[in-house]
Amino acid sequence: MYWEKDIETLSFEKLKEYQLIKLKETIFQSKKSEYYGKKLKDIDSSSINSISDISNLPFTTKQDMRDNFPYGFLTVPLDDVVRLHSSSGTTGNPTVVYHSKQDLDEWTNLVARCMYMVGVRKSDVFQNIMGYGLFTGGIGFHYGAEKLGVLTIPIGPGNSKRQIWFLKEFQVTTIHILPSYALRLYTFFEELGVDPKKDLKLKTAFIGSEPHSEEIRKKIELLYGLKAYNSYGLSEMNGPGVAFECQYQDGLHVWEDNFYIEIIDPDTGKVLPDGEEGELVITTLKRDAMPLIRYRTKDLTKIIPEKCKCGRTHRRIDRIKGRSDDMLIINGVNIFPVQIEKTIMKVPEVGDNYIIELKKENFMDKVFVKIEINENTFHGTLNEIEKLQKKITEELKSELGINPVVKFVESGSLPQSEGKAVRVYDLRNK
Amino acid sequence: MAHQLSIFVENSPGKLERITKILADEKLNVRGICLANAGEFGIVKIIVDDPDKAYDKLKEHHFTVSKRNIIAVRIDDKSGSLCNLLTILSSNKINIEDCYGVSVAYNNSAAIIIEVEKYPDVESVLKKNNIETLTDKEVYSI
Repeated sequence: MYWEKDIETLSFEKLKEYQLIKLKETIFQSKKSEYYGKKLKDIDSSSINSISDISNLPFTTKQDMRDNFPYGFLTVPLDDVVRLHSSSGTTGNPTVVYHSKQDLDEWTNLVARCMYMVGVRKSDVFQNIMGYGLFTGGIGFHYGAEKLGVLTIPIGPGNSKRQIWFLKEFQVTTIHILPSYALRLYTFFEELGVDPKKDLKLKTAFIGSEPHSEEIRKKIELLYGLKAYNSYGLSEMNGPGVAFECQYQDGLHVWEDNFYIEIIDPDTGKVLPDGEEGELVITTLKRDAMPLIRYRTKDLTKIIPEKCKCGRTHRRIDRIKGRSDDMLIINGVNIFPVQIEKTIMKVPEVGDNYIIELKKENFMDKVFVKIEINENTFHGTLNEIEKLQKKITEELKSELGINPVVKFVESGSLPQSEGKAVRVYDLRNK
Repeated sequence: MAHQLSIFVENSPGKLERITKILADEKLNVRGICLANAGEFGIVKIIVDDPDKAYDKLKEHHFTVSKRNIIAVRIDDKSGSLCNLLTILSSNKINIEDCYGVSVAYNNSAAIIIEVEKYPDVESVLKKNNIETLTDKEVYSI
């Protein structure tokens, strides 16, 4: 049941020793980049005597990555880089992560380790229903599954009837899917006369990329008759394969041979003891092309101090509770409210009073943009409003990949707020 | 040139009532009304006896309102007369953006309110074809 038994069950002390060696190597490597070369100028890795000395190092933020676009964090010649992943760049520079061949091998191995942990073997058939492309979710799992020797169907999301056809025809055993899409997909089975429990051979689902509750997991397991495992990752740390549930489904093991984790108070930056809730901070321990030191994920969770029944020594984190910033996760896509605002404000006819509402519709996230009609540009025809609606919808679609419902409302009908307006209302869990 | 008022309204009960109440309180008389609906919102088009005053009053009550040019065309109250008017306009490549009828039974004639893109053109076309248009005063007292 272990992919790499020696590493996965390494004693706590040995793991710390290993992390210390890797941290020193990481500091050395990171200083080859323009950014850390300056930032860590006065840090000598020989002064780091224990892994906890890491708290003397500065944090790295998403903004630092944006500010040092494009190559400020790169530690190897561009010739040695074989892939990049990037966020959308509407609010300025995107955050770009570069991978060398070695980085991709490490990443792939971690995903394989995750999948093997919950029983996926080469005899399985894997339908990867997660998005491919710049988004790391689909491609990360794809390579991990292939490394395991699993027959992999790179179908991507959407087209529910075709999904079900593949699931049935190829007797798929394993899927990787957004939890919200798993619930939505279920609604198509009846029409096709397919019973997921009788006609399919599904036993394992990997669900991730968006926060979900234990109730959602239970529901997916019940509807499909399978086991669903929570997956955590972020593109700055490769993508999927950072932390993953074992067969006990009780917290996510962080692969501590690759990542050093800390929980901090998001306001003071102070490191909190295991068991306390705060912001997850991660340091890469094996990254070659782009090491990141004390990267603030903005994800809120806690470290579970107790040992896990599965025998793995790598500590677990609790499911993600939320964010310490205002980032929204819309059907698995990370979007900041300011990106939506900037896109809307590019349309000159839009007045300055509008709100964004997020709701659940058929289990999927739906974005509603409500805009007060602008008195100064209103000419009195229906046509102009419909054109405007279409324009805003298309802008949001092409810039952010979201398909919103744009509504115009009467002037003065939206709440006015003092100071910084509250424009985003997340009603998905209401 | 006569004007109608175009008002943006959300499609919910009581919206039209509020508009007519504001006009009634000011003793403004509605001569024609028409509603273009696009689902959750619509545009109300109103002809009143004093459009400037109505415009100001609606603005005061925070309605989003716009004054738009219209032409009121007198046609005979009989079969074929509307068709005749539209034939004249279309053969002169004048596209109608919106049109509605008001107040039939008026000297055996009816009035059609039209909105077009090319106003000077439409006036000369109508004149050439001996089609009578209403004066502003007539429009406001249809």
